[in-house]
Amino acid sequence: MKTVTANRLTDGRVIYRTANGDWTTDLADAARLDSDQADVVLGLASTENRIAVGAYLIELADDLPGGQKWRREGIRLAGPTTGSTHTAAVA
Amino acid sequence: MYTYDTYDHAMLADRIAEFRDQVERRLDGRLTEDQFKPLRLMNGVYLQLHAYMLRVAIPYGTMNSAQMRTLAGIARDYDRGYGHFTTRQNLQYNWPALVDIPDILDRLAAVEMHAIQTSGNCIRNVTADPFAGAAADELEDGRPWAEIVRQWSSFHPEFTFLPRKFKIAVNGATADRAGIRVHDIGLQVVKNDAGETGFEVWVGGGQGRTPRLGQLIKPFLAPEDLLSYLTACLRVYNQHGRRDNLYKARIKILVEALGAEEYGRQVEDEWAAIREGELKLPVEEIARIRAFFGKPQSPTPAPVPVTENSAFARWLDRNRRDHSVEGLSSLVISLKPIGGTPGDITDAQMDAVADLAERHAFDEIRATPDQNLILPHVRNDALEAVWTGLVDAGLAIANAGLATDIVACPGLDYCNLANARSIPIAQAISNLLDETGLSEKAGDVTIKIDGCINACGHHHVAHIGVLGVDKRGEEFYQITLGGAFGVDAAIGSIIGKGLAGEDVPAAIARTLETYLDIRAGNERFIDTLRRVGPDAFKEAIYAEA
Amino acid sequence: MLKLDRKDDTHPIADAQLAAGGGRIVELAGDADWRDARAEIAGAVRVDIRFPIFNDGRGFTLATQLRQRAGYAGKLRAVGDLIPDQAQHLMRVGFDDVDPDRKGQDADWARARTRFAHAYQPGQGNVTPLFRHRHNRQDRDLAALNARYRDQTPQDILRDAIENEWIGKIAIMSSFGAEAAVGLHMISQIDPATPVIFLDTGRLFAQTEQYQRQLTLELGLTNIRLLTPDAEAAAEEDSDNRLWRRDPDACCSLRKVRPLDDIIGDYDALITGRKRFHGGGRMALPVVERINGRIRVNPLASWDAAAIEDYFQRFDLPRHPLTDMGYASIGCWTCTAPVQGDGDIRSGRWLGQDKTECGIHTPAPIADEQVAAE
Repeated sequence: MKTVTANRLTDGRVIYRTANGDWTTDLADAARLDSDQADVVLGLASTENRIAVGAYLIELADDLPGGQKWRREGIRLAGPTTGSTHTAAVA
Repeated sequence: MYTYDTYDHAMLADRIAEFRDQVERRLDGRLTEDQFKPLRLMNGVYLQLHAYMLRVAIPYGTMNSAQMRTLAGIARDYDRGYGHFTTRQNLQYNWPALVDIPDILDRLAAVEMHAIQTSGNCIRNVTADPFAGAAADELEDGRPWAEIVRQWSSFHPEFTFLPRKFKIAVNGATADRAGIRVHDIGLQVVKNDAGETGFEVWVGGGQGRTPRLGQLIKPFLAPEDLLSYLTACLRVYNQHGRRDNLYKARIKILVEALGAEEYGRQVEDEWAAIREGELKLPVEEIARIRAFFGKPQSPTPAPVPVTENSAFARWLDRNRRDHSVEGLSSLVISLKPIGGTPGDITDAQMDAVADLAERHAFDEIRATPDQNLILPHVRNDALEAVWTGLVDAGLAIANAGLATDIVACPGLDYCNLANARSIPIAQAISNLLDETGLSEKAGDVTIKIDGCINACGHHHVAHIGVLGVDKRGEEFYQITLGGAFGVDAAIGSIIGKGLAGEDVPAAIARTLETYLDIRAGNERFIDTLRRVGPDAFKEAIYAEA
Repeated sequence: MLKLDRKDDTHPIADAQLAAGGGRIVELAGDADWRDARAEIAGAVRVDIRFPIFNDGRGFTLATQLRQRAGYAGKLRAVGDLIPDQAQHLMRVGFDDVDPDRKGQDADWARARTRFAHAYQPGQGNVTPLFRHRHNRQDRDLAALNARYRDQTPQDILRDAIENEWIGKIAIMSSFGAEAAVGLHMISQIDPATPVIFLDTGRLFAQTEQYQRQLTLELGLTNIRLLTPDAEAAAEEDSDNRLWRRDPDACCSLRKVRPLDDIIGDYDALITGRKRFHGGGRMALPVVERINGRIRVNPLASWDAAAIEDYFQRFDLPRHPLTDMGYASIGCWTCTAPVQGDGDIRSGRWLGQDKTECGIHTPAPIADEQVAAE
């Protein structure tokens, strides 16, 4: 399973593309895509560069980031792991 | 410190207007991301893993209290209440919104600060000895020259689109706390037989994927020739630096390919044609800028206090440095709390430092290449007041230069380029070395950690370097030994295959224990390492716990 | 193709050749060696340097070397993948114009072309680097200034005066009279916040007051500095409002010269609308002069009535209501009449008297009056 992610142009926050073609910060709402769909959607997402910067595909495993980049995508989703109160994700 | 005149203010205002325009054009699509990216980089705006990052320049690491308070205010109003000091004497904010950045730049401009050219393939922040103007071993304050180079390098019409980034450092003391041998160009202040000031010019140093030490290409450059010579150096690089391969585009590769002699010859050839032209630095301008950098007075010098307060005594012992003016001291404010994030500081802490600087330290603060702060000029009779203020702010950690004074890049917790995390490893090492008392016992030793080969954390030039790598989704850490930053600059050697993250702190502890076992007398870790070689330490690192 | 307004762009022969379809154009790649190119470009009417991608900065060095080392003085054009934000970089290394691949961004290029008023580095086209410029100002020589301005248009003179030479310390004096709209329009195109000093003598035509309001609004001027005579002095010296008749010099002094003197310290330079063709003492007017230690800039010194009229028409500027009634120079109603016969343009001022100037533009006489008063 894959999904498309990017950073929001206005504030750099991590976003995922939904099945509707919107962009959300909530991975739970991101479209679940198989490989063929994923390439198509990535193509679309790449044209939406007034909303999303640097769109690319990530792998999902059980609704969480998976594959080799699991740690990196986990940090993008949940924030730094450095345990400082300053880095707690803002609601 | 340097104060802007109306022209400097006008230039900064024009620059901010330009960036505001560029942001607008990106938002409405007149600029693509590919076109916008180099432009925003040249205003210090990165796009990182989960947010933009803004890198604010602190020219040659020098700030006053008003500037520090502004940095605190920006952290509060636009970020998450903290900032991060870097190995190039800059400050990074990790969470600003792009649409807010022009306003942030306005706030910075009001206190003569900016984010100009802190990224991008252009000339970056000119760094200097963080103890400039205070150090007892100083020949001459290098910062006026750093300021002259800063202005010359700003918005340079010819050198704004270089093959790659370009970093210049200026050093004015006999020790090298600016790292001129690991910069693209390093300028060392020297005096000739007649006592006149000049510069040694070192070219081609750098870290990253292909670490190299710089080479001396000019033993004495006269001050009036500074700009024309630098122009010649940059011109040769701009023309002949590689543009086909991102990883071979720095000047160190060009100097190595041509050889220092041939590179120097090409520079001399270009320089001969421009030396007597419009780039000759007028003596009036040299005098004008030098006048901003003076030494404070100490009319009634007091001695360094002798105290029964053991915590204060320990802090004085570790964090105080002698000053060239009698009655004054320099102080290191460690931003390395045990188990904390190296280089991070909260807005409240920034305000506290600003207050202390204003009240007790001639209103001057420095950022260092090891991610700490310095109050360069403190009266000895104010040392206790400063310490008390630092204790209240949680900034009185007495570990300057110790093993827990760790340098770490932001790593995979923040950075797009990283392969592994660096901060959690730094935290774990710090905790273990403190718990075991090894940090106190082992004395001066530098530990620097990087999350990728770009080496922003300078692991190549650490006594003990740690480089994170990714192996099939798992973090491993290579250890290097024997690097050094100063006059004795050296690139550390990899001692073997990478260790799993959870094994690294214990391996470092064993390294320091080995040192304590085999050291001769009071020699420092690096001296023992150089004397006996790395094998004894390698054994310790790979020994089963 | 977009001009970069490089200041020493004077290639009439090359322009003529190109226009006639002749002349050799040479295109160089950005990584060309200037020594190799030197022979190739000799005699070319234009050299184009191609930028394959906008961040390949070699073209900037090549341009610099063609200008400085090879001494190439012909037209230099930047072509290829360039972005508007590079306008000033291109100009300052010696390009005359640019033909970017991406079209339709003329407004962005125009804005970028004048983004920075100053430079930290030397460059082509009369750019003095700040490390030198800061120190030049103190010993600026009037002759050198006039030489620099001699062949420049009033707009160029004003732009240099306002944005460069006396930045932040310059104002325009305007009577809002018959010709005033010209200079004020030029100012409004450069910086509508430039201070406009307007002397409200208390004796102005109602039409002037109305025109002043109208013109201010239409040109978008945002910084009108209205000066009035000191009330106490007026009560003392002109209690019967007849001073203009008894002693016109004293009246000008009260209502114009002294109010101006009070604030003149705020400025290093003042812009006037004076012109040589006004005749009388103005016939030898330089563009830049020093009066009582302070600079006056007369950017329209060389313009004649035809040039003024042309400008009015080109920009469709509103006219002072009295110009229709034969007034060509408009001061206070007490001392202003229409032009007499074919007298010169100011012949209606202080008609029947020897007085030709109110005194705000003339050097102060040595203070005999004060000495005498003691």
